Amino acid sequence: MSSPTSTAESVPTTLLSRLQQVVEHAGSHPEAAVCDLLRILQAEHGWIDDERLQLVARLCGISPVRVEELCTFYPLVLREDPGRHVLRICDSIACHLAGAPGLLRMAVAQSGVPLGQSNGHYSVLPHVCLGLCERAPAAFVDGKNTVAPLSAEALRQLLQGWERES
Amino acid sequence: MCKKGIVPTRCAMAEVFYLDGEAIPFRAGQNVLEAVLAHRQESSIPYFCFHPAMGSLGACRQCGVMVYPHDGKHPPRLTMACLLPASRDLQLGRAEAKVQHEHQLISELLMRNHPHDCPICDEGGQCHLQNMTVASGHAYREYEPEKRRYQSQELGPLIRQEMNRCITCYRCVRFYQDLAGGEDFGVFGSRDRVFFGRLEDGPLESPLAGNLAEVCPTGVFTDKVYHQDYLRPWDLEESAGICPHCSIGCNTRPGAARGRLRRVRQRSHGEINPHFLCDRGRYGFRYVAAEDRPRQAQAGGRRQDVDSVLDRLAARLAEGRSAFLGSPREDLDSNLALFALARVLDAPFAAFFEPWEEAKAREILALPHPPAPARISAYAEILVIGAVDRVAPTLPLFLRAAHDRGAAISLLRCLPSPLTALAGEDRLLPPADLLDAAWDWLGQRHHRPFLLLIDSESVGPELLHLLRREIGTWPDGSGILPVYRQGNLPGASFYAVDGHASRLRTALAGHDYDHLLALGQDPQEMDGPWWRSHGDIDLSLIDHRRSLSWDDAWLTLPCAALSERPGLYYNGEGRLQAAAVAYTPAREERHWRSELGPFPLAAGGALREELLPSPVELCRALAERLGLSERWQERLRFHRDFLLRSEPRPGDPGVFLPAELRARFRLHSAPPPRATDQGWSVCRFSHYSEEELANGARELHSLAPASAAWIAPGQQEARQVRLRAADGTSRTLPLRELPDMAAKVLAIPRAELVFLGLRPGDGVDPEWLD
Ligand code: SF4
Ligand code: SF4
Ligand code: FES
Ligand code: FES
Repeated sequence: MSSPTSTAESVPTTLLSRLQQVVEHAGSHPEAAVCDLLRILQAEHGWIDDERLQLVARLCGISPVRVEELCTFYPLVLREDPGRHVLRICDSIACHLAGAPGLLRMAVAQSGVPLGQSNGHYSVLPHVCLGLCERAPAAFVDGKNTVAPLSAEALRQLLQGWERES
Repeated sequence: MCKKGIVPTRCAMAEVFYLDGEAIPFRAGQNVLEAVLAHRQESSIPYFCFHPAMGSLGACRQCGVMVYPHDGKHPPRLTMACLLPASRDLQLGRAEAKVQHEHQLISELLMRNHPHDCPICDEGGQCHLQNMTVASGHAYREYEPEKRRYQSQELGPLIRQEMNRCITCYRCVRFYQDLAGGEDFGVFGSRDRVFFGRLEDGPLESPLAGNLAEVCPTGVFTDKVYHQDYLRPWDLEESAGICPHCSIGCNTRPGAARGRLRRVRQRSHGEINPHFLCDRGRYGFRYVAAEDRPRQAQAGGRRQDVDSVLDRLAARLAEGRSAFLGSPREDLDSNLALFALARVLDAPFAAFFEPWEEAKAREILALPHPPAPARISAYAEILVIGAVDRVAPTLPLFLRAAHDRGAAISLLRCLPSPLTALAGEDRLLPPADLLDAAWDWLGQRHHRPFLLLIDSESVGPELLHLLRREIGTWPDGSGILPVYRQGNLPGASFYAVDGHASRLRTALAGHDYDHLLALGQDPQEMDGPWWRSHGDIDLSLIDHRRSLSWDDAWLTLPCAALSERPGLYYNGEGRLQAAAVAYTPAREERHWRSELGPFPLAAGGALREELLPSPVELCRALAERLGLSERWQERLRFHRDFLLRSEPRPGDPGVFLPAELRARFRLHSAPPPRATDQGWSVCRFSHYSEEELANGARELHSLAPASAAWIAPGQQEARQVRLRAADGTSRTLPLRELPDMAAKVLAIPRAELVFLGLRPGDGVDPEWLD
């Protein structure tokens, strides 16, 4: 993976030029564009595969190791295919007190796979504080919508809905 | 000066602060931990993440001390010694119960996930974590049965990883990325899941990677080569060594036991290698255990004992038709011993077989006192010529430090370089253009002292000559530091750089001489075409490595390797340093039936010494056989005394070649410039692991790429290239593309250049083949 991989096939040219624009915008610090590039690529593809990692490294002029350091540090960047949907349930202190552990257990039971793994359709991930502590327990759906507070019933329906979809 | 006592005593000389009542002197800018470490051998404050080369991070929280504010308002507070600037009259407590308890708690925290595998951990016996845990007084801890576990990585032949032992001090990644500039190693994840490693399995790419084994305070990164021959560190005999693998002359600490050299670690020399060694220096020592290392003397194609071979050689020398060749990689005394023998026989002697190399050596000797490697970081303007990072892999550490201090670094190069990231000005050039480019650089006005760092393998003597002639016009303190891969070039060539190589060749080419006795230098490895066209010369070799001509030589005498004998070496600054004997080779075997093969000493075996004679001993034996003992001794003493005004001992910082002795080399006229054309030319391709001796170190050498001709991408469709030597022989090499190298240049390994009789910068007419 430390050797550059071709991204020619998997990243459409329009997207590539958009990424290049973002890098240009960063001026003399192309490495500053790294988070934006990861965000855009993840929105398009659902997660960051090795090819996209290499592409980001190349565009930003930094080593792939540097990009991976960032990806593995931030829980919002996914380096594995999560399936079609991702549910993040906050397990930080306020949500923990408001019942997050129970919700996580439920989600594991319903999805049939451990936390952080995809059952082919979706993944449930524990997450750090979402900044919705006053409405704990909080959840973040598909990287777009927040649900807070998340009730056990709402969780069951959400996951059921996803299962039906598949 | 500063006495320990209950009542604080004031130190008259330096500013002090007080730790448990003891006055600790400090320098401005030091933090408390640093000052305590500098003051005592063993710190009374436990610590992990602080490292003298990397500074403080405050990550491990182990170095807490109690600070007593003087203002009478604030209560005493616990703070990290590594983050607390030392200041006058600071009152600190370490020995009190609260601080001790804190140290114990942090130890407990760090040990919580640590495996209990000390008995099988290579770090055992030199483990900072073990020492600190014991020092903090932590012994019993509670932990949940499930410990954090990692999958470790396979990081190549030099470094082993056992990630479960990590205490997240971040020393490794700070070293690898921040100091060494490595790009293939990092820290991944967050919280208690951080992982230090590569993106995927594979050899670490940095030529400084071996330092991870010393930098890591636990057993995460350990020396894989040492592991093959592992004995507990306390069973090793360590000595003061000098790295013989390049002109920097880093100080080393070889560790040996039971007749085997098992590892090399760094020994700090403030001016040369304050903290680190390169991997060539750390792992190159394994040439002593090369499978094909010669151990059997032979003469005229027959294996014989050393005495008979010496008889035969002495008889040959007595004929008066022999010439002598020394070696810039052999120690001073070996060279002088051979030189003295040549003198008493009134025979030609040269230190170089190649007049071109000799001319460069002369220019190197003529340089007025080059600056010490560690001083590089003090320069504000530096011009780097050639591939210094490949020749002397520790140099980028100093250049990076200079860059971090704001130095302007300019780079003139033919090959890709990790220094590109540091260089404000970076020019890719064919070797023949390096001189003009250097001249341009000098033409820009430089008001501050500056440094020229020259890879003397990439350039010719004319460049060195013209640049050094200018030194007088440069701002005071400016200088040139040349780098090359021979460990004792000034020492070997001091008496033999005035046209000796040409005279030696003329002598051998004529009718009066038909035999060459060479020590540690194989003429075929210096100039292939010349040697091939003089096939009637008989060659006698004294060496500890199987060189190209070894198996076909008329006579061969294997000798002790450098680490098996004491030695004096002049490094590139002209600093003479002494290396002690690192070990005496021996075999562990059954003392009752040795033919049954190796048998461990620990199980009742015996040690049988296998020491080969040193070159000095061989020369002495020859002088005796020739009846010239006394004259040889006298000569040797005379040359030695002239050169050595004082003789350093192992462990000393070294003494310099006196300026007046260097001065005489300045009188030489300029070497003739070479014709340059606009076509293709060659430069030397080398890997950092590469050096004549280190090439025999199996593990290190396994990382070197296979022989090829490298060119810049997009220049040729061809898959191979054929190059011709002047004598009509040719070499066909696979073509490989190498991004970021100069156009119209073929980068070729030294062995191929020599075979073809080419020098870096020579024009060639490549024949492209599919
Ligand atoms: S691997 Fe070693 S040096 Fe790196 S953080 Fe862990 S303990 Fe520290
Ligand atoms: S090869 Fe050179 S730079 Fe490396 S350790 Fe030896 S003397 Fe130092
Ligand atoms: S703790 Fe869950 S949103 Fe803040
Ligand atoms: S050495 Fe001070 S916090 Fe680690």
